[in-house]
Amino acid sequence: MSSDTGILSSFVEGAPPGELDDVINDIRNLLVSTSISDLGDAFQRYNEEQFVTAKLPGSSQHVIISSHSSLGDGRYYDIETSSSFAFDHETQKASGVQSHVLESEQADLVKSTLKSLAQYAKDYFPNAVYGVYPIEDHSKIAVILVANKYSPKNFWNGRWRSFYTYDPSSGTLEGAIKVDVHYYEDGNVRLLTTKPVTASIPSGTGSSILREITTAEKKYQDELNKGFTTLSEGTFKSLRRQLPITRQKIEWEKVAGYRLGQDIGGGSSRR
Amino acid sequence: MVGAPQEGQRSKGSTYFRLNLSAFLDIPAPTMADPFDSALDLLRRLNPKDTAQHLQNIIQIAPDLAEDLLSSVDQPLTVKRCKKTGRDYLICDYNRDGDSYRSPWSNEFDPPLDEGGAGGVGAGGSEGAGEGAVPGERVRKLEIKANEAFDVYRELYYEGGVSSVYFWNTDDGFAGVVLMKKSSTPGGTNQGVWDSIHVFEARERGRTTNYQLTSTVILQLSSSTNSLGDLDLSGNMTRQIEQDLPVDNDENHIVNIGRLVEDMELKMRNLLQEVYFGKAKDIVGDLRSTKLLSKDRAERDLQRELISGIGK
Repeated sequence: MSSDTGILSSFVEGAPPGELDDVINDIRNLLVSTSISDLGDAFQRYNEEQFVTAKLPGSSQHVIISSHSSLGDGRYYDIETSSSFAFDHETQKASGVQSHVLESEQADLVKSTLKSLAQYAKDYFPNAVYGVYPIEDHSKIAVILVANKYSPKNFWNGRWRSFYTYDPSSGTLEGAIKVDVHYYEDGNVRLLTTKPVTASIPSGTGSSILREITTAEKKYQDELNKGFTTLSEGTFKSLRRQLPITRQKIEWEKVAGYRLGQDIGGGSSRR
Repeated sequence: MVGAPQEGQRSKGSTYFRLNLSAFLDIPAPTMADPFDSALDLLRRLNPKDTAQHLQNIIQIAPDLAEDLLSSVDQPLTVKRCKKTGRDYLICDYNRDGDSYRSPWSNEFDPPLDEGGAGGVGAGGSEGAGEGAVPGERVRKLEIKANEAFDVYRELYYEGGVSSVYFWNTDDGFAGVVLMKKSSTPGGTNQGVWDSIHVFEARERGRTTNYQLTSTVILQLSSSTNSLGDLDLSGNMTRQIEQDLPVDNDENHIVNIGRLVEDMELKMRNLLQEVYFGKAKDIVGDLRSTKLLSKDRAERDLQRELISGIGK
């Protein structure tokens, strides 16, 4: 029973972007005795780890779920809207919105970083949700951005996640960019990437933090695009040729009649 | 015995045809899906790099599905060395009998099936033990030819790697699987493994034979450098084809199967190229623009102005 819960939790936490409901349906249909409601911890870990977003009721604003914006007891807060809300980890719905005013010695840095982050998101992400939160007893700030695009009708979904912490006392920015793409038309193809980022920003203002993040993410996307080309033209090509070195398809009549070691397909294939 | 496909067991081919058939007949989807289909759907969603682990986990929580899943889900192939000929061969469910595997080069099982026996299975086969896995005399002859032909194919297209072909008898002809595996040289910053699994059924109908081919390619790629970080691009794709082709003699079978597999692999290689490097890159570009979006918008606005200006 408990090992079943462990397995089912691993399925939940392995759900591709935007496909948690499909994974839950599959689990239900496997007719296991473990109930979906026993997987609450896995749902919470998935939602917080993936920076799942929720629409605040009565508003068009989307907010991030993360351990860094958790108030405990299933409630989370958002600084841009100065609100807190309850979040159902299984249905991924927000409710019970209340006013929440930030009180922190990092309040100024949080707000200026948030303002620069909003501009950066607008500049480069067609659809991003983001947040900045004081963490570790208000000694650091967390900067989070998530961009999703779901196209289940075309059998693909994608997610870009950025997470950084900035320590004002040391001027250090640390974090990682993660990309997760799933393509599943008559197959199952997954791109998963992690790029660690570190930088030193002594004059730790919101705009200087975002200048660093912008540079790092631009550089990363360029590297990633180069990586696709390298893999395609190097590794992929060396695994299997598109055509034999003779540039002709095989003459199967000859192959079927001949023994190995003789010339096939008009030229020698032996190195 | 869990061995090669037998009567009543869902083979890879029949599973997919079953799914296609219900779509074709427009049967409304039941509110509660078949657990087997749900297991396949789950495997289509979870990270394809860990399919073997996910498969084990599903079998642990739903043991009834074990046999159907193991014969339907393609996993990366394992290489084994033939003790008799010293040549490498690939192992899968189709050359397995219990814990033993049949080498296509020697036709012998390793470890030997019969306790205290001479090892391997004689020309007549032995009742019960791997009967499905050992082809009859005529089909074994075809299997030998096919292994020779696809060994040439492997060298021409893969310039390395390992290939194996296994045939078995069916009620109205024979069936088989053509396997290819190639791994990149270990040690580089970029790694890759290609596995091809082509399962076919040949139904002999006088002067023509009906071939049904289900092909899966499992392609795993990864890269790890300071500037790129860690990248994993792994997955599998499956395609099917059915064709009636003329057959005058047994050599025609090798020619027909060879062409079918060659055409299918070419098609799938192009498809993989498009999905792995084109589609994946485009989706990342949809998530984050490489250019300033406001600039994009400004350019579009300018273009619109120019066009409306021309119209005036």
